[in-house]
Amino acid sequence: MTIQPDSLAGTASATGVHGFEVFSNEAVADGVWRMRCHTPVASLIAPGQFVNVAVPGDSAHILRIPLSFSVAQATSQTLELVYAVVGEGTRRLSCMRVGDTSTMVGPCGNGWALPTHEGRALLVAGGVGLPPIVACARMLAEASVGFDVIVGAQTSAKHVEYLLDELRRLAPDEGCDCARKVLVCTDDGTLGTRGFTTDVMADLIADRPYAQAYTCGPTPMMAGVARLCAKRDIACQASLERMMGCGFGACSCCNVALVAGGYALCCKDGPVFDAREVVW
Amino acid sequence: MSKDAGPRMAVNLGGITMRNPVNTASGTFGNGEQFEGFYDVGSTLGAITCKGVSAIPWEGNPAPRLAELGGAAILNSVGLQNPGVAGFVGRYGEYLQGLRRKGCAVICQVAGHSLEEYARAMELFEELAPFASGFEINISCPNIAAGGAAMGATPAAAAEVMRTVRPLTTRPIVVKMAPHDVAEIGRALEAEGADALSLINTIPGMSIDVRTRRSRVCRPTAGVSGPAIHAIAVRMVWECARAVKVPICGIGGITCGEDAAEMILAGATAISVGTANLVDPACAARVVEELEQWACDQGVTDINELIGAFEC
Ligand SMILES: Cc1cc2nc3c(=O)[nH]c(=O)nc-3n(C[C@H](O)[C@H](O)[C@H](O)COP(=O)(O)OP(=O)(O)OC[C@H]3O[C@@H](n4cnc5c(N)ncnc54)[C@H](O)[C@@H]3O)c2cc1C
Ligand SMILES: Cc1cc2nc3c(=O)[nH]c(=O)nc-3n(C[C@H](O)[C@H](O)[C@H](O)COP(=O)(O)O)c2cc1C
Ligand code: FES
Repeated sequence: MTIQPDSLAGTASATGVHGFEVFSNEAVADGVWRMRCHTPVASLIAPGQFVNVAVPGDSAHILRIPLSFSVAQATSQTLELVYAVVGEGTRRLSCMRVGDTSTMVGPCGNGWALPTHEGRALLVAGGVGLPPIVACARMLAEASVGFDVIVGAQTSAKHVEYLLDELRRLAPDEGCDCARKVLVCTDDGTLGTRGFTTDVMADLIADRPYAQAYTCGPTPMMAGVARLCAKRDIACQASLERMMGCGFGACSCCNVALVAGGYALCCKDGPVFDAREVVW
Repeated sequence: MSKDAGPRMAVNLGGITMRNPVNTASGTFGNGEQFEGFYDVGSTLGAITCKGVSAIPWEGNPAPRLAELGGAAILNSVGLQNPGVAGFVGRYGEYLQGLRRKGCAVICQVAGHSLEEYARAMELFEELAPFASGFEINISCPNIAAGGAAMGATPAAAAEVMRTVRPLTTRPIVVKMAPHDVAEIGRALEAEGADALSLINTIPGMSIDVRTRRSRVCRPTAGVSGPAIHAIAVRMVWECARAVKVPICGIGGITCGEDAAEMILAGATAISVGTANLVDPACAARVVEELEQWACDQGVTDINELIGAFEC
């Protein structure tokens, strides 16, 4: 897996409308699907940025679907999206067949930034917050930044196994003190530790020092991660979700309240924010 | 008409000269710059209308500001978040000046909570925005607590806003109207010196999440827009056009040249693409081409021949 070096450097590529063609679209966990498609966006997009996908065939639902990506392969122009079917738009997305085509607006927003300070990073993903965390892990691995990962889901059936494997591959257990860890938990204890990602995180940060955290998942979880980080003075980047009208800063529909007062736009100023700057 | 000459597409919206009838609806086009990655705005469109701006910055409403309604419509409650006239000019002035140089008209939208605030914003625009081809007074925003739609609710109230701002500029003034009593209110605005009217703004609506019993946006009522409102908007443009002599900019659910053509036949001189910009960022550029094709197919030499050419 390669990401273009210039996309890693965070140079913003202009957002455009690009075609895509589906070459696989299948369920990978309970209610979670993976779409792989060919699209020129794959060579423009950086980890943590997103695309705004038009699902064909329903004139009643007009908005596009904003989705992060887990893998962008520039050489083969392939993009991998992992998404939960939660409503009409994502249900129709799951009905797209191999060879179907549509368009996506992208790359949108600002992605993850590499840590500014020396030290370990901690990645915390909940539910379908996992795809951009996988992209983040790859970015850190390529930059030789040490990291550990905590992945939570409601129950084992909701865990996306192949992405956990991908994380383990990116974070090999080297058998030394600072071996990268991939810790898995579920609300009901059916896989890994029983409990929330924030419980696992509280134990882990008591054990190991971290310079930087990256988180994506349900808002209450990210708020918990942000609180733990603030207490320990760990820098924290969080990828936020909002309903989106355009995805490129034209409608002001995706506002995020700032601690300093006023609002930022999730699609343009984010979706990745410094967790200390937003009102949780 | 020679084959490659094509019909003349230029129109005059109350003193705002446009190379073609295609404009963008305030609040759905950022301030133009956001669309430069999709097409060359300044060389393509007849005009753009900027986001509503007030004398001093407004924060806008809290999240969530948007819901998808499922019937080809969306519901928004942005509440006119804007950086104030000075902030707006500082951030976008140079870009908008560039649009003018390329031949695209720039319409700046004026917002306020009270007559005093409209006047103050208008004065600041007059002083700070030499790049504005004209102004659009928003008396129809359904998403703010005071002012907005309330200022345009009756012919008398609308006329008062117009009386307040008219002496403050010699540049063309368009008034953005709410979707009700358009003939009556249109006549009142015309009598007070409005150069053009634009309609419609969003239609007030509600969407309740029945599980939580809460509104799906931050306020109980908000504005409905999108293809679902198109037929209503065409009817209102037709009613208004029959009542006034000033030109009209038709707005509401336009997604293609055919939708735009309907507006023109109903009596609109210009049209604005709104919500469609968000989901299909190149929509307005496509409407320019499709509209010209339609004029061609209709066999006219000038698009102005088709304004109000609806046969009933
Ligand atoms: C930047 C960004 C990246 C995202 N990345 C992913 C991803 O990688 N994988 C994934 O599964 N999902 C992701 N989402 C969420 C995804 O966009 C929504 O789940 C999807 O739009 C729902 O559409 P729908 O029509 O199926 O559901 P709807 O019927 O519209 O809604 C179903 C439920 O989902 C909620 N919802 C709707 N739109 C959004 C939204 N934009 N953000 C959050 N919740 C929403 C609604 O409030 C409702 O509770 C992302 C959202 C954003 C803003
Ligand atoms: C997100 C959003 C923001 C808007 N902001 C404004 C605004 O600032 N001023 C205004 O007069 N109208 C505003 N409108 C209304 C549009 O300009 C337009 O009148 C309306 O959406 C109907 O057209 P449409 O169906 O093509 O969108 C807004 C509409 C949307 C969807
Ligand atoms: S979704 Fe339109 S500004 Fe963010």
